[in-house]
Amino acid sequence: MSSFRSKVLSLYRNLIRESKKFNSYSYRKYALEKVNYEFRENRNVTDAGKLSQLIKKAEENLQMIKRQVIVGQLYGEGHLVIEHHQGKKG
Amino acid sequence: MAGLAKCARSLLSAPGVTRCILPRLSAAGLVNYRHNAKQLHSCTVSSQILSLMIPDIQQSFVRTYSGKPPLTIKMVEERVLLVLRLYDKIDPYKLTVESHFMKDLGLDSLDQIEIVMAMEDEFGFEIPDSDADRLMTPKDIVQYVCDKEDVYD
Repeated sequence: MSSFRSKVLSLYRNLIRESKKFNSYSYRKYALEKVNYEFRENRNVTDAGKLSQLIKKAEENLQMIKRQVIVGQLYGEGHLVIEHHQGKKG
Repeated sequence: MAGLAKCARSLLSAPGVTRCILPRLSAAGLVNYRHNAKQLHSCTVSSQILSLMIPDIQQSFVRTYSGKPPLTIKMVEERVLLVLRLYDKIDPYKLTVESHFMKDLGLDSLDQIEIVMAMEDEFGFEIPDSDADRLMTPKDIVQYVCDKEDVYD
């Protein structure tokens, strides 16, 4: 079980870290919220089959986020008005 | 420099600007470079515009890059506690330097990861997974940050 635990925690950390790199405000916020929600939704799952299925889903999504961050940087569209007020990425 | 050249070129290419600026600039150029007076066609004028503009522009481009302001253990502690107080799942009245995130403050392992990442943002360096697992009280975080930033007093 502990191997699952450390795997899940490191996935959570990496997903948040990568999601923060989104250039676009709404993608960034959505990704962070979604990662948070999904992990908390499934926090009590103990079935090994379900766990490895969820871990696989997280890994695929981590790769997808990494790709999309790069695509987002290639086609950047500048910051929104609210971000200019904050002065840094919020 | 490319920016400067572009600026000078755009000055020269705008007809109205050229008409009103060039006489003045070439006059200034004559004062400085009397022996060059014969070569005062547009090319040398543009290089003189550059030489006239450079002092000002250099002043505005000078920036002082410096390190972060020096930290003390007290400051690190205040910043750590401030970040924790602003975290919505922590009751600021229960929070002390010694309180354990899971046992005393009722957080889970996901919250603890979020806290560690907030500390990374606050202090501007990355905390590896193996170290992040050990940071369970504000005191641990303060100690860890001080070790990493070479703060001893």
